[in-house]
Amino acid sequence: MPPLLDVRNLTTHIRTGRGTVRAVQDVSFTLEAGETLGLVGESGCGKSMTGLSLLGLLPPGGTLVEGSSVRLDGRELVGLPDRELRTVRGNDIAMVFQDPMTSLDPTKTIGHQVAEPVLLHRGVSRAAARERAVEVLGLVGLPQPRRRLSDYPHQLSGGQRQRALIAMALANEPRVLIADEPTTALDVTIQAQILALLADLRARLGMAMILITHDMGVTAGNTDRVNVMYAGRIAESTGTDRLFSRMRHPYTQRLLASVPRLTQDPALLLPTIPGLPPDLADPPTGCRFADRCPYATARCRAEEPQLDGTAEHRFACWHPVDGPAPAEIGGKVADAVAGAATGGGEGAAATTGLAEGPAAAGTVVRPRAPEPAAAAAPLLEARGLVREYPLRGSWLPGRDRRVVHAVSDVSFTLARGETFGLVGESGCGKTTLGRLLVGLDRPDAGAVTLEGTDIGTLRGGELRRRRRDLQMVFQDPFSSLDPRMRVSAVLREPLRIQGIGTAREQRARVAELMAEVGLPERGLDLFPHEFSGGQRQRVGLARALALTPKVIVADEPVSALDVSVRAQVLNLMKRLQAAHGLSYVVISHDLAVVRHLADRIGVMYLGRLVEVGTAAEVHRRPAHPYTAGLLAAVPVPDPAQERAKRGAGIGGELPDPAAPPSGCRFRTRCPLAQERCAREEPALRSFGPGHTAACHFPLVAPAADSPSDVAAGRP
Amino acid sequence: MTAYLLRRTGQAIVVVIGVMVLTFALIHLAPGSAARATLGTKATAERIAVFNAANGLNRPLAAQFATFVKQAAEGNFGTSYSLHEPVSTLIAQRLPRDAVLLGLSTLLALLVALPMGVYQAVRRGRAGDHMLTVLSFVLYSMPDFFFGLLLVALFSVQLHLLPSQAPQAQSVGGVLADPKALVLPVVTLALVSLASFSRYMRSSAIGVLAQDHVLVARAKGLPEHLVLRRHVLRNALLPVITVLGLAAPAIVTGAVIAESVFNYPGMGLLFYQAATSKDYPILLASTLVVGVATVLGSLLADIAYTLLDPRIRYDRG
Repeated sequence: MPPLLDVRNLTTHIRTGRGTVRAVQDVSFTLEAGETLGLVGESGCGKSMTGLSLLGLLPPGGTLVEGSSVRLDGRELVGLPDRELRTVRGNDIAMVFQDPMTSLDPTKTIGHQVAEPVLLHRGVSRAAARERAVEVLGLVGLPQPRRRLSDYPHQLSGGQRQRALIAMALANEPRVLIADEPTTALDVTIQAQILALLADLRARLGMAMILITHDMGVTAGNTDRVNVMYAGRIAESTGTDRLFSRMRHPYTQRLLASVPRLTQDPALLLPTIPGLPPDLADPPTGCRFADRCPYATARCRAEEPQLDGTAEHRFACWHPVDGPAPAEIGGKVADAVAGAATGGGEGAAATTGLAEGPAAAGTVVRPRAPEPAAAAAPLLEARGLVREYPLRGSWLPGRDRRVVHAVSDVSFTLARGETFGLVGESGCGKTTLGRLLVGLDRPDAGAVTLEGTDIGTLRGGELRRRRRDLQMVFQDPFSSLDPRMRVSAVLREPLRIQGIGTAREQRARVAELMAEVGLPERGLDLFPHEFSGGQRQRVGLARALALTPKVIVADEPVSALDVSVRAQVLNLMKRLQAAHGLSYVVISHDLAVVRHLADRIGVMYLGRLVEVGTAAEVHRRPAHPYTAGLLAAVPVPDPAQERAKRGAGIGGELPDPAAPPSGCRFRTRCPLAQERCAREEPALRSFGPGHTAACHFPLVAPAADSPSDVAAGRP
Repeated sequence: MTAYLLRRTGQAIVVVIGVMVLTFALIHLAPGSAARATLGTKATAERIAVFNAANGLNRPLAAQFATFVKQAAEGNFGTSYSLHEPVSTLIAQRLPRDAVLLGLSTLLALLVALPMGVYQAVRRGRAGDHMLTVLSFVLYSMPDFFFGLLLVALFSVQLHLLPSQAPQAQSVGGVLADPKALVLPVVTLALVSLASFSRYMRSSAIGVLAQDHVLVARAKGLPEHLVLRRHVLRNALLPVITVLGLAAPAIVTGAVIAESVFNYPGMGLLFYQAATSKDYPILLASTLVVGVATVLGSLLADIAYTLLDPRIRYDRG
C-alpha cells in the first residue's frame, strides 16, 4: 500500500524581478495517517513554500519544476488541472495559517466562512453546511458555537479566531492537515491550548499532520518525525527523539543550541549561527550552509552533499556532528566584553551579522565609570502607577464611565546596571507600563522617578534633556525605523534634537555606534529596508544608545527575529549592558528570553504586577499560580519533557480589561481559586528577600515575618 | 446602529448650518458691491441706494442673514439680480438635469472602474495591467473639454453616429428620452473619473489580495472567481467608498466645461455666471446646495461603510 502522502523531488522555483528564486529544492518525504511531521527551520528556508506547493498554491511567478511529485493515496497531484486540484484543497488536504488576525475575512461571519468549504465540497444544503459548522466549532472548543455563527472575526479573540480557522480546515475531515506556524502569533498560554487541541484532533480523526514551525520547543512536543530545512533543502530528517539527542547536521545542532532556555546559565552567551542564510536567487555551489558552518572545509564549498544515511536518519553533510553542542560553546558574557575592549575577539565576532566581522571595537567601547555612591538608591522607580483609557463615548450623560484598566497600581524599582524583566500575556498592560517608564505617556496616578526626579512633573526643555537618559527599543524592526531615512540620519537624529556636538562630532559618534552594534560603517549610507531584521534591530539598539542613556526600555526586542538572529541580538544586549553599565527594562511574552536577560522578573496580569522576584527565584519557586502556569506553558526543546506536560498550563483567556474580575483578577483562570479570591483582592506578600507575590493561596509558603503590605518589588 | 446614524445625521446638520454662516459672511465681506456689479460702474449713488433698499441690502448683516435662513427654509432663495427669475426656479430647472448627466457618468465610471481595478490587481505587473495604467494616466491628465471635443470630432463630425449636443429638453424625462444625445457627454465625464476610481480600486485590491484570508479562501478550494467576488471585492471597496463620498457633490455642482462643450446649461454655468456678476442670491443658494451635497455625500459614504464593514457597525461608543 502506498503511503498516504508521498512527496518526491519537490522543487519550486519563483520567477521574480531579481531572477529565479529556488525556494524549494528536491524535497522528498512520506507521511502516514495519524502521524505528525515537523518542518523546521528559520524564515526563508522554504518550509512554508513546501506546504503551499503541496496544494499547488504558488505565488505569482511560481512553478513546480519538472520531476516534482506529490502523491496522495497514490494519486498524483502535480500537473492536475486546477479544477481537479481544487477538489483536493480544503477537502483532502487542508491548511491552517500563522496569523489568526489576518486569516479570516473581516467582512464575513464566522458561520459563513466555516460553512463555505462544506458547501463547496460536499454539495449539501446551506442549512446542513451551517449545522456542520456548529459541529466543528464545538469540536475545536469554541464556547457556544451556535451563537458564534453570526459573529464577525473582530468579535473573537486571537485564540478563538485560531480555533475558528482550525474548524474551517477540519470541516471536511481532511486526511492531511498542514499547520503553518499555527501558534506563532499567540501567547504561550493559548499556544499550549491550541497545540493540545491539534494533537487531540489528529488522534481522534486519524489525520496526518504537517507542522511547520521555527520553534524547537513546539517541534519537540508535537511531532513524530522532523525534517530540518535549510535554504530550500532538507538538511536532516529523522525521528523527533533522535533529532534532539543525536543530531548529525551542524545546522540542527547550532539551531537547537541558540534557543534560550529557562534552565540556561545567564552568564553564558547564547551560541549563535553567524551570518545569514544564502540568497536563494543565487545559491552557492556546494553545501548551502558552508558559509555559516564551523566545520566547513574546501569540499563543502565545492561539492553539494546529498541527503543520505539510513531510512530512519538521513542528513546532508560531509562532516556530520554527533549530538548536541556543549552549553559553553557561546562563551561567557564577561569574556565577550573583555574581548571587545581589547579589540574584537569572540564577542564581537559572534554577534556580527555581516561578513565584515569584528569592526575595530576596541576603539569605540566607552564604558561609563561606575558610580558606587549612588548604587544604593534605585535608578528608576515606579510608584503606584495607574493608567486607564476611557472607552469611547463614556463622557456622554447616561452612560457608565467605562475604562480599560491598562496599568493598575504598579510599583517596582530598577537599580543601576540591573535588568528588570516584565512578562505577561498580550493585553496585560506591559507595553503601556513601558511607555509610562520612558515618559511617552503620563500616568493617571503614581509617579516614575529617575534618580529622584519625578519625570511626570517635567515639561519643555527640561523634559527633553531628561529624555536622554530614558530610551526605548521597539518590537518591530521594520516599522520602528523611518523607511525614508538613511541609517546615518536615523542615528544622528537624537544627537541633533538634543543639540549634542558639532556636525563632525555627530558623524564620528554615529560611526562609533555602528561599530558598537556590530554593523559595518558602509551601512550608514543604506536605508532600513536594505538590512535584514536582525541588522535592523541592531540599528534600533544603536539609536537607543546614541545619547548614552541610563535606562533602555526594550519592548519585545527579539520577538520578530529568527532563533539564530535572536541569539545574536540577545548576546549583543548583554555585551552592551556590561560595557556601558546600562539598566534595562525588558518587556516580553517569552519567559525564556526574560529569564536569559533579566536579574529580576515582574509578572503582570491584567494591569497588575502579581509577582516580583529575582529571575532564579521566580523560575525555581514561583509563588503565584499564574507565574507557574506561564512557566509550564513555555515550550522546552526536549521531547520527553514536552510530551509529559501536554495539556498542562493555564486554561481560558485574558478577561476584558474594561471589566476586570472582582478580588484577584486571575481567579477566573486559576486552578486554586476559592470564594475568598472573588471577595478580597490579595496584597503583595513577601516570599523571601526581594520576592513578593499577590496571592491568597500561593504555591510556596510566604516568609514568616511577612507583613501583608510590603512595598511592591523593593529588593 | 440607529444611534450611530442619528448622531451622524445630527453632525451633518450642524455642518450645514456652519456652511450657511460662512458662505453668507464671505460673500458680504468680499470687496465690490452687488449693486455696482449689477448696475455698472457708472450708476449714480441714488440708483445704488434704490437697488440696495429694494433688495434689503441696506439692512444690518445679521438681519439679512436671518431673512436668508428663514426664506431658505421655505425654499425661497430670492430673485436673481441678473436673470430676474426666482433662484429656486433656476435651480429646480438645472439641478435635476445635471444630476442625470453626472449621476449617469459616475455610475458608468464605477461599473467599468471597479472590475478594471480588480483585473489590474490580479494581473499586476503584466501587460494588461501596464496598458490599463497607461490608459488611466492619459485619461486622467487630459482636460475634459479637449476630450469632449475629440469625441465630438470623431463620432459626430467624422462618423455622424451621435449628435454633438447634449439633449436640449428641459425636463429630466425629456433628457432621458434622448439617450443617443446623452452618450457623448456621459462618456466624456465618465472617462475622467474612471481613471481615478480604477487607480484607487487597483491599489486597494492589491492590498486585499496580499492578505492571508485570500490565501485561506484559496486553500479551501474556492475557484478564483469566487475568491475575488466573495473575499476581495467587498474588502477592496472600503477605501473606494471614501473617494466616492467625496466625489458625490460633483454630481450636483455640475461641470462648467462639459456643460459648455455640449451646450447643456447646468449648475456649473449658473454658478460661474453668478460669480462673475456678483449675483448674491444665486451664489448663496448654489453654495448651500454644494455644501449640503458634500455633507450628504460623506454621510452616505459613512452609511455605506457601516453596511460593508462589520467592524464599524458594531463599534458603538
